[in-house]
Amino acid sequence: MKRWDLIVIGTGLAGLTAARTAVEMGAKVLVIGRGMGSLALFGNSIDVLGAIPPGADMETGVADWIAAHPDHPYARMGWPGISEALGAFRELFSPPYTFAPAGKGNSLIPTGAGTMRPTYLLPVTMTAGAGASAADTLIIGLRGFKDFQGDTVSLHLQCRGVNLSLPRYGLEGLSALALARLMDEAPFREGLGEAIRSQMAGERRIGLPAVLGLKAPADVLGTLETITRAKVFEIPMLPPSIPGTRVFHRFREFLIEKGATFLLGNPAISADLKGGLCEGITLQNPPLLTPYRAERYILATGRFLGGGLQADTEKISEPLFRLPVSQPESRGQWFRERFFQPEAHPVHRAGIVTDQELRPIDTRGRIILKNVRVAGSILAHHSMIEEHSHEGIAIATGYLAARRALAS
Amino acid sequence: MTQLEQITIPSRHVPDLCVRCATCMAVCPVSRVTPLFPGPKQAGPGAQRFRLASQDSVDDWIELCTACRLCDTACPAGVPISELNLMAKAKYLGERGQRVRDWLLVRSDRFGELFSRFSVIVNPLMKWRAVRWLLDKLLGIDRRRDLPAFESPTFRQWFRNRPVATDISGRRKIAYFYGCFTNTNEVDVGKAAVACLEAYGFSVTLPPQRCCGLPRLGLGDLRGAREMGRRNLSLLLPTVREGTDIVFSSTSCGLMFRHEYGPLLDLSGAEELATHLFDICGFLLRLHEEETTAVRFKGLVAKAAYFTPCHLRSLNSGLPALELLRLVPGLDIRTIEAECCGLGGLYGFKTEKYAIAEEIGKDLAQEVSRIKPEVILTDCEGCRMQIRQLTGIKVLHPLQLLRDVLPSA
Repeated sequence: MKRWDLIVIGTGLAGLTAARTAVEMGAKVLVIGRGMGSLALFGNSIDVLGAIPPGADMETGVADWIAAHPDHPYARMGWPGISEALGAFRELFSPPYTFAPAGKGNSLIPTGAGTMRPTYLLPVTMTAGAGASAADTLIIGLRGFKDFQGDTVSLHLQCRGVNLSLPRYGLEGLSALALARLMDEAPFREGLGEAIRSQMAGERRIGLPAVLGLKAPADVLGTLETITRAKVFEIPMLPPSIPGTRVFHRFREFLIEKGATFLLGNPAISADLKGGLCEGITLQNPPLLTPYRAERYILATGRFLGGGLQADTEKISEPLFRLPVSQPESRGQWFRERFFQPEAHPVHRAGIVTDQELRPIDTRGRIILKNVRVAGSILAHHSMIEEHSHEGIAIATGYLAARRALAS
Repeated sequence: MTQLEQITIPSRHVPDLCVRCATCMAVCPVSRVTPLFPGPKQAGPGAQRFRLASQDSVDDWIELCTACRLCDTACPAGVPISELNLMAKAKYLGERGQRVRDWLLVRSDRFGELFSRFSVIVNPLMKWRAVRWLLDKLLGIDRRRDLPAFESPTFRQWFRNRPVATDISGRRKIAYFYGCFTNTNEVDVGKAAVACLEAYGFSVTLPPQRCCGLPRLGLGDLRGAREMGRRNLSLLLPTVREGTDIVFSSTSCGLMFRHEYGPLLDLSGAEELATHLFDICGFLLRLHEEETTAVRFKGLVAKAAYFTPCHLRSLNSGLPALELLRLVPGLDIRTIEAECCGLGGLYGFKTEKYAIAEEIGKDLAQEVSRIKPEVILTDCEGCRMQIRQLTGIKVLHPLQLLRDVLPSA
């Protein structure tokens, strides 16, 4: 039976980053995903630490954060490691569709809910959102497109909003993917650009739902900006996320081109564990159970939605390697009194505890599985929702897990 | 609904596995091109909550699902979306009764052998505009669709009459499921498969076989699909039980055998067959990985592009054909970054669906025109038909290219 150098379980940003890092180090990599992963859900821009104020220097902010949160996943690599991993991520995207910070720290961009969200790396299609103001911005909604309500955004931003219909194309009921595909066609985006221009009243920024093309987003942006003579930006909205799907496609294209094997759609249901090592995992594609073996494994299966963690009425567990999950003592302590409040619900801090090299450890600090590393949101001691750190944790730990795994 | 009674209907709780995350909406090729189909989230688990066996179907658009199964591969929650769609489609079509066209199309295996025998007459006839007009108007087989030509002799006849190699005694046996299309329309795929298997040191047998039943399943004819499955199992299991593995060269037949006979159609013996059934390229690739073959391909300087069929994604064992092609020295092999060719088997032959199939395929055609390959390679006959029509470029099964670079060739 074939033995891989590394098996990565999970196709979210953490798993894909780990796989890509390993492939670049020359490893034979197998990537296993139960589904398409979280990128198609809410992958938009790259959050690193939105909890620090907009504009504050990210390097200092992260260093201070680590000092105050010594258990946090970021403490495993510090800012130099995070920065290196983010740099590698950015290199995957060649111009014109690239990711960059707007300034030295976080910037605020509008969301489809009308809120302003702090984030760090922006794709070029979102950069102009980072300066949107009531005075100079026009929000464009598309009539019949249910996943984005332009009025909600313009109401919150207190700027002007317009809902456009393009009758020739019958927008009614189109999915985000269908719209993105239409945008990839020059005549459609030119028509849209003209329609926007006819509605403008001196605005210098135009916000649109994040559907500006799947294949050629920078071209779509270019066309719209040329026609409107304004800065155009995408606004993240309800899933599926088109910007996240672009990122997923880029990783998949890269990994397959470099010879990684990509298995999508079936779960890894069991692991063969002997003497502190994982000797293989089994993939379930009914009626078949197929074993796969590697020297090393990276667990990047995410939290509850992707099945990385499971909760029953009593406890939270990790179903594949049966790793201990750091969690509140009883279910009664999972949630705070109110659903919306600034601090994280304790259940969101649950997860897998690791050593400095991301190997899973027990409560006494002993390594449980020597050839398994853990990456991404399944790790304990972060609260990615409140911290706005989802992508940063995924990229930094995915990168480190692969580097450390292959060094061993 | 007698035919539904024989099948395990997914539990009423299955739709509740769906968390409405909409990941499937990022991959569905049909809702990518038309708002007429609401997409897998609504068509599958969404509508399932409102479907009652005792009530008539209300979802006319269910017929627009091509059964590519990409939604299943994207779902993070393990919802059997395409299966929900299939059961709903079966109920819908059951209520309306089968169209003459559909009755004919799913029996293309039967007519195939007949047409092959009379291919000298049939092939030119199929090109007549009057005939195509009649097929379009009377049966609803779109006249814009290139119909595949029939070949004579069939693959099976060719195999039976070919001179038998002299040095096969003591060789390991392998059985080959070639599928209807290879038998009557793409005989060279079968010849290439035999040439490759023999070059790797096997002695090839052709067990008796019938249509896998996927066309019937795609039209919601579960009873017919089950019947084909039962027949194939009784024809193929003796081969497996004497210790011979079976390889297939059509990904869709393979998917039907491996993952529909058991889990969906609940046929006994399906699991036994599934464990001894292999995609032919995966089977050959494993010999390289285990270093149990001495086959080294000859060089071939050419620019080629590989396309991944949807059903190969569902088989979920990687891209073995692509990996084999990468072993050919000098071959510049690219991948076509597009999801679904759009044909959907018989789907793209139907007048009411032709435009959708063509629109889905445009994305693929655009990628091809960007790559500009000399030859396109893909494992599925449906994809090959569609890509030929969309691009006009030579499209082959990967084995047809590999056959030409075998050391003995």
